[in-house]
Amino acid sequence: MTAVTLPAPRRAEGIGARVVRALLIGIAVSFLALLLLAPLGAILAQALERGVQVYLDSFADSDTRAAIRLTLLTAAIAVPVNTIFGVCAAWAIARFEFRGKSLLITLIDLPFAVSPVIAGLVFVLLFGSHGWFGAWLLERDISIIFALPGIVLATTFVTFPYVARELIPLMQQQGSEEEVAAITLGARPWTVFARITLPKIRWGLLYGVILCNARAMGEFGAVSVVSGHIRGLTTTMPLHVEILYNEYNFVAAFAVASLLALLAMLTLVAKSLVEWRMGSGRT
Amino acid sequence: MSISLDQVTKRYQDLPVVNDVSLEVEAGEFLVLLGPSGSGKSTLLRAIAGLIDIDHGRIALHGRDVTRTSAREREIGFVFQHYALFRHMTVADNIEFALRVRRVRAAERVARRKELLQLVALEGMDSRLPSELSGGQQQRVAVARALAHRPRVLLMDEPFGALDAKIREELRRTIRQIQRDLGMTTILVTHDQEEAFALADRIGVMHQGRLLECGRPDDLYARPASRFVATFLGAANLLLGYRRGEHVHFAAPAHAAGPPDEVVAVLRPEETELVPVGKTPATPVGRGTVEEVQFGGAVERVRVRLSDRTARSASGADGAGALLDVTRTLADKRAFPVAPGAEVAVGARRVHVLPTPITSFTVLATAAGIAGQLCRTPLLEALSSRMQARIFEAEPASGTVPPGLPVIPTGPGALAAARWQLEHGARQLLCLPPGAELPGRVVIHVQDPAARSSTFLVASSLLRHLHAEAVYLALRDASASESGRTSGMRDLLDARSAAMSRHGLDLRTELRLGDPRSELQAELALQPRSLLVIGVGPSLDALDRLVQPALEGPTELPVLVVRAELLEHAGGG
Repeated sequence: MTAVTLPAPRRAEGIGARVVRALLIGIAVSFLALLLLAPLGAILAQALERGVQVYLDSFADSDTRAAIRLTLLTAAIAVPVNTIFGVCAAWAIARFEFRGKSLLITLIDLPFAVSPVIAGLVFVLLFGSHGWFGAWLLERDISIIFALPGIVLATTFVTFPYVARELIPLMQQQGSEEEVAAITLGARPWTVFARITLPKIRWGLLYGVILCNARAMGEFGAVSVVSGHIRGLTTTMPLHVEILYNEYNFVAAFAVASLLALLAMLTLVAKSLVEWRMGSGRT
Repeated sequence: MSISLDQVTKRYQDLPVVNDVSLEVEAGEFLVLLGPSGSGKSTLLRAIAGLIDIDHGRIALHGRDVTRTSAREREIGFVFQHYALFRHMTVADNIEFALRVRRVRAAERVARRKELLQLVALEGMDSRLPSELSGGQQQRVAVARALAHRPRVLLMDEPFGALDAKIREELRRTIRQIQRDLGMTTILVTHDQEEAFALADRIGVMHQGRLLECGRPDDLYARPASRFVATFLGAANLLLGYRRGEHVHFAAPAHAAGPPDEVVAVLRPEETELVPVGKTPATPVGRGTVEEVQFGGAVERVRVRLSDRTARSASGADGAGALLDVTRTLADKRAFPVAPGAEVAVGARRVHVLPTPITSFTVLATAAGIAGQLCRTPLLEALSSRMQARIFEAEPASGTVPPGLPVIPTGPGALAAARWQLEHGARQLLCLPPGAELPGRVVIHVQDPAARSSTFLVASSLLRHLHAEAVYLALRDASASESGRTSGMRDLLDARSAAMSRHGLDLRTELRLGDPRSELQAELALQPRSLLVIGVGPSLDALDRLVQPALEGPTELPVLVVRAELLEHAGGG
């Protein structure tokens, strides 16, 4: 064996490493600026192009107001429904062993895998006038497609993984020993859920709800297929933006878009707050 | 009785994790369930708490059958290994939880909480969160929380498992103190024998789902009944000994009339003494060489390899002679210092003999190569490793009956060989077909009532180590009159109750009418992997009549023949 003298590893990064680091950060930041910040800026710039008054006036339009109302209403239905579904599904998956468990997990992920347009088409196929239940619904004068129920259904379908996906790993990691302890202390099932489980998962649940809400308000594809774009009746905010834009009403389009962007920013802030709470809450 | 368990069985995917456990715990008693991990002790504890359902048996708390009662209504206190405190609640809210769900008034709750915090020496910690407490403090809170609703039974699942040694001992004392003061019936589960000794009024040792033995710590330590308890509870050297009158000798006896009365002897390391070669200890064990000397503070631990031909280890193969662990006091050490390599004489201050019917297996080779083949059968390998019993090989046709349980191959000539062994003093005999598998079913038939008790003793010892269904078979001639049938039924019932009460054997019973030989064949043919345990009288004529087909074909099966003890025969009817 010949002794080989290796150069001592340097504690500080070499000049090369520093260059690489700066380069990577630079790429990431400029990418973000180009793809996220620039459009955001453009939205605001466009919306305010003709002054604040015109910007505010665009919200006075009754169709725009209807779109905002519809979006809020849809989210107000879809988010609670998905919250309840998500908690139930996560509870079942994290706490019990049963046949078809992995199938259920796969099904929960389905909306992530399927294109939203296809999700919308599925509902048209089912409930549209030529769909499976179309004739039956027509007889009873119930409209689902091109009406509120269809929009809510499509939104719920697209957003249903968010809460469950957030809770499953959290509940699996936390285990159920505290719940078992509560039972031995004489608590009834509802008490166990309300006093033990819910406080344990509250931050994860909130996080899931925020994501779910953001998607519910912003969903375009699936809703676009089932809505029918009836102005003032079945257009949600994203759809309304498209309509206004196609009509060359740029200020109004970008004003509504800025509202959506604002919602997204609020979501981001809330999400970061919750993440920070979740992090500090863990011991 | 405060807690009463009756034949509790819990299966997971058909494998029993708690197997036929019956146990009574008196009011105010501190029982420790001790066993290695996977022995079913935690499962049993959770079954008592009602956290898991049992498949068979009954659980009663204070005379009330709670087998189907939910955990919430059993009024027990449960302490978990990892505390299971409610992380988002303060110490005060944790302790008051059980009172809150019972809608106890606030003033009363606060009073009880103060009382409990004082009990566990945590006054003033009310408003802390669990995350702000040390592990030991958290477990104290958990104990206080479990006691808040004044349960009549306290169950603890490895409560000190997650704590370091010093805190563990301190908390152990606190818990023992609280248990005494409150007179609380308590079951604690642990794998730590030191903990068991320190806390228990009574220790129950569990292994592979069964409650092997239960007794006062000192009794269990001094007089274990099985190899497992002897070696799990403290350290033990297991040696094969030979009983002659009152005494136990360790050297294999010279040729004498009949086989020697072999026993498994327990030698505790601290009851083993070393003396210089030339001096004779009170109960000599043999001579050996010191292999290892370890300084252990207050004691010295010495490992001695016994020279061959003095004493043989009862468990495991140890080629060059048995290894003995010896613990010596410093006074012993000063009186007779030893160093590795030194020749010493080993003696026993106290020897305990295990009441186990199967001490060792000796494979008798009737033809070249067959002995090795029998040793490697799955059945014998499993029995040997599970019972911790050794397998010896004897010279072909040495013309003597070996000590322990002789093993011969089935096939042509097996009947004569079996007969010869049993006539010349063998009390039991195992006949194995080459490649004998583990049986799925054990058929027990007692041909001579005189052999019943020894047959059950051997069968229960065997069944403890096999996951097999046990069937007790009675055979009556078809020509038997009504009274013959009645006596057959009575025989079955008697046998079943004797098996249950004396040996803890749960048997299925079967009565067959017809030609005994063909009926026995038919019963054995029901399951291809059967093992026959048959008790025969001194005349051995049952061998030819009943067992011949199983021994010599066409349907060769593993057969364990148990011969009636002469004494038993004289006394029994």
